[in-house]
Amino acid sequence: MAGFFSLLRRLYLTAYNFTLFVGWFQVLFTVLKTLKESGHENVYHAAEKPLLFAQTAAVLENDEGLVRSPVTATVPQIGSRLFLVWGILWSFPETRTHLLVISLLISWSITEIIRYLFFGLKEAFGSAPSWLLWLRYSTFLVLYLTGISSEVGLIYIALPFIKASDKYCIRMPNKWNFSFDYYCAAIAIMGIYVPGSPHMYTYMLAQRKRALSKSKKD
Amino acid sequence: MKVAVVSRSGREVVKGGIQLDDSATVADLQEAIHKRTKKHPSRQRLTLPVQPGSKERPVVLNYKKSLKDFTSGNSETLTVVFKDLGPQVSYRTLFFFEYLGPLLLYPVFYYFPVYQYFGYKGERVIHPVQTYALYYWCFHYAKRILETFFVHRFSHATSPLSNVFRNCAYYWTFGSYIAYYVNHPHYTPVGDLQMKIGFGFGILCQISNFYCHIILKNLRRPDGEGGYQIPKGFLFNIVTCANYTTEIYQWLGFNIATQTIAGYIFLVVATFIMTNWAFAKHRRLKKLFDGKDGRPRYPRRWIILPPFL
Repeated sequence: MAGFFSLLRRLYLTAYNFTLFVGWFQVLFTVLKTLKESGHENVYHAAEKPLLFAQTAAVLENDEGLVRSPVTATVPQIGSRLFLVWGILWSFPETRTHLLVISLLISWSITEIIRYLFFGLKEAFGSAPSWLLWLRYSTFLVLYLTGISSEVGLIYIALPFIKASDKYCIRMPNKWNFSFDYYCAAIAIMGIYVPGSPHMYTYMLAQRKRALSKSKKD
Repeated sequence: MKVAVVSRSGREVVKGGIQLDDSATVADLQEAIHKRTKKHPSRQRLTLPVQPGSKERPVVLNYKKSLKDFTSGNSETLTVVFKDLGPQVSYRTLFFFEYLGPLLLYPVFYYFPVYQYFGYKGERVIHPVQTYALYYWCFHYAKRILETFFVHRFSHATSPLSNVFRNCAYYWTFGSYIAYYVNHPHYTPVGDLQMKIGFGFGILCQISNFYCHIILKNLRRPDGEGGYQIPKGFLFNIVTCANYTTEIYQWLGFNIATQTIAGYIFLVVATFIMTNWAFAKHRRLKKLFDGKDGRPRYPRRWIILPPFL
């Protein structure tokens, strides 16, 4: 029985990783194709569906334990991505035509294509080629920087639109004496990036060192 | 007796080791390490070495015991593992600064025209519930500070300095967050009866909480020693951590009377933290009082929130 469940789990994880691999591949492909054929203003519109699908599905990673990373690393990472996708790009269409959308989507999709391919192969065959392992733990050196600058840049660009609209805001007076200001929340989130991104970067550097030195030994 | 002091990686911390009398206590050793390394005894954690790879917890050297208690047989040498815990503060200092923040910050929102900086112009009408809430709040934190100095007995003398920053951030931020809403110019009060029930229940819980703290104090000897005891009397006959139960319920009373989401968020977070502590304490007491070898057996009790936990 236990063997059956572990097989089922492996099948599920393999399917999950390859589905998201395909999803992010579609994002990258659509971005590049649209960029070539019609210009950067249309990129978001073309890639929206696979992007929303692939990034939202990452929520499953947290409670499924698909990726064995500490919660302090995965929750802010997935949370900030969801905020960008739903809270900025989807909610404020004015931001979608900006050039930063291109660097954002390219950075994210290359990272995720490599990551899901790596985990998918590991689940399916028990191992992944060493060049893929190297890519998995090296591309972030550049792509994390471009990705995170695009994220912060896009939030900054969205700020005047957030302020002008009353979207997602709760104002007093109300029975439960509560208020919420999306503009302040967005600024606070930008503030979290200040200590958050160096923390994540050093965490990933440590992971890189561990993973690559381990593979050398094997 | 010759004591070798090494770090966890095995490096020698005190060059050449330390020569001590055979009658020396751990405290004497700590004093000697203090002289050589300039690290105060409160930040020294001394343990016996464990076998590499072993999952066992190392034995911590209690400062009151004699060094002889930790040597095997008649051995004239002892190796201890030294860990620097970093700068320490006393628990009294930690608690005092934690509670001072809310005690001082809350009245700022009540008395001073802070809301004009948040974009609210014009006169502010103060509801009676806001005034009562101010008294309730200040009474609560004044009570906590007074208890820290005149009631509590601490089993651990010190806490790492970094905890001061972490805990102050928690208390000061939440205090200001709640104060902002309760004293807001657009605050909507609840009905008179609900307010009276909330504050009445809350005060009752605060008094019970104070009584719980007196009971806990009497479990320990004045020097903070005496180890763990089975708490008995009053609500402790039902709940292991009645002090947390009453603390949680007094915040519930405050929230019933003032009705802010901010207050309820604080209640949930505080309950979560205290529940973790309560489970740890309950487990420790059950393990300690297992009913074997003449030890009393820990009675069946709720942990923190009857009738659920």
